[in-house]
Amino acid sequence: MGLGAIVVPGELYRNAPAGIAPNMDALLSDPLAYLEVAGRSTLERTIERFVRAEVDAVSVLQTEAGSRGVRPSFTAFENVEFQTVSDLRPAIQQKLQEYSQSGIEHSFLLFGNIYAETDLLDLFYFHREARQTATRTLNREGTLDLWVVDCLKAQDFDLDAMFLQPKTSSNSYFIREYVNRLITARDLRRLASDLLQGRCVARPSGREVKRGIWIDEGAEVHRWARVVAPAYIGSSSKIMQDTLITRQSSVEKNCCIDYGTVVEDSSILQNTEIGICLDVCHAIANGNKLLSLDRDVVIEISDPAVMRSNYPLPKPATARKWASNISLFNRRKQRQPTPARLQPAGSAPERRGFETNSMKG
Amino acid sequence: MSSKGPVIVMEAPEKLNHSEAQAFLAELQPLLQSDRPRIVLDCSQVQHMDSAGIEMLLSSMGEAMKRDGDIKLANLSPASGAILELMRVDRLFEIFETAEEATRSFQTVALPEVTPTLPWYSSGYGFADLKSAS
Repeated sequence: MGLGAIVVPGELYRNAPAGIAPNMDALLSDPLAYLEVAGRSTLERTIERFVRAEVDAVSVLQTEAGSRGVRPSFTAFENVEFQTVSDLRPAIQQKLQEYSQSGIEHSFLLFGNIYAETDLLDLFYFHREARQTATRTLNREGTLDLWVVDCLKAQDFDLDAMFLQPKTSSNSYFIREYVNRLITARDLRRLASDLLQGRCVARPSGREVKRGIWIDEGAEVHRWARVVAPAYIGSSSKIMQDTLITRQSSVEKNCCIDYGTVVEDSSILQNTEIGICLDVCHAIANGNKLLSLDRDVVIEISDPAVMRSNYPLPKPATARKWASNISLFNRRKQRQPTPARLQPAGSAPERRGFETNSMKG
Repeated sequence: MSSKGPVIVMEAPEKLNHSEAQAFLAELQPLLQSDRPRIVLDCSQVQHMDSAGIEMLLSSMGEAMKRDGDIKLANLSPASGAILELMRVDRLFEIFETAEEATRSFQTVALPEVTPTLPWYSSGYGFADLKSAS
C-alpha cells in the first residue's frame, strides 16, 4: 500500500481574507513556506518529515503567481518533485490520479505554509481506520489544511466542497503536537523563537557551539561580538565587532550585521545587511524593509548604508556604478598609511578579520 | 518648577528628507536662536523620514539644548517611530502622543523633592543626635 504527499505552499495565504496579513506583501515577496527560519525553510522541513515517514512520492505544486518563480534551493530528497502549474485544482486531481495509477492509495494533502510536527503515520492509520475519503486535521486553534485522502475516491471528489466541509468534524484528526500556521510575519517570528527555545522538535541547522547558540557553516562572528543564547547565525553570515545578538534572534544565511548594532528578539531574513549602530528590536528585517512587530508597520529604508539587500546581484549598469564607488573608496584608502605599510619589510602583517568568537552567551 | 516663556508648536513637513529638512531647519532657526527655546514638533504629517531628517532633528535639539531649551516630538506615526527606534534616536527625544501633552510637559516640569538634610559630618549634628539615632 503506497503513500504519497501533495504540498501546495503559499496558497492559503493568497486566499486569506483581506486584512489578515496586511504587511506581508510590503515585507515579503515569497510565500512564508519558502523563507528560511533558523537555517531551513518550513517547506524543506515539511518535505523532510514526509520523507522520514517513508512516503513514496512527494509532489510540490506551486502556481506561477503564487510562487513568483521561486524554486527552493534544496534537492537533497529523493522522490520529491516540484511542479509549477497554472491552475491548482485540476493539477491536484491529476496528481491524485497519477498516484492512484502508480499504486499509491492514500495521499497527504498540505495547503498553505503550515508547519505541523504531527505523527504522520498515526494520522494515516487514523484515516484508514475511519474508512473515509478524506480526513482533515485540527488543533486547539481550529481546523488545519492538512489532509489525508483516498487517491482513487478523491479524484471524483469536489475539492472545493471538501475544503468547505464543516469546521468541526467528528472524523477529524486532532493534532496535539507543535503547529504553526505561518499566516503572518508574526508567525514567522514565533517559529524562529520556538525553534531556538526548543518548543518544537525541529532544531536550528548548523552546530550548537554553546548551549542555545547555533552557528551555521561559514558564519563568521567577530570575537568582540556578543551572541546571547538562544540565537542562530546562518551560513556565510558575518557578525561584526561590538554587535549584540540576543533574545531568540535569528540571523539567516548571507547576512551582515555591522559594527555596534543590536539585534534583539528579531529575525534577519537571508541576504540582508544591517548597517552600523542600529537597534533592531522586535522586528523582521528583509533587505531594505523592516517590519516593526511592536508598531505593526513596515518601513522601507532608502539609505543602503542603513539597511540593504545583497540579493539579487546588481544589474550591469548598477554594478559599474558600484565598481566606481569601490575603486574610489580603495583609492582613498590607499592614501592613508595603513598599519601594514608602516611595518618594516619582511615582517608578517598583523592578521585581521574574524576569528572564533569566545561566545559570552 | 514652571516655565513662563511660550511653547511653540511647529508642524513638521510631510517629507523629512535632505531638501525638505534643510528648508524646515531654515524655518526653525530663528526660534532656536531665542533664549530657552521650547519647541514641540508635531510630526502627524510626516510620511517619509531619512537620515538627513534625523540629522536635522538632532542638530536642532543640540541647538535648543545649548540655550537651555528643548525640542519635544508629538504625534509620531508608527513608521516614524520605528525609524527613530531603529536609529536609536527615540531615547534622545521626549515623545508624546499629542502636541498638547508635549506643551503641558514644558509648562510643568516636576522636579523630585529634595529635603534639606545635613550630612552626618556637618556641624549640625551633635553627639547627642548620634546617640539618639543609635
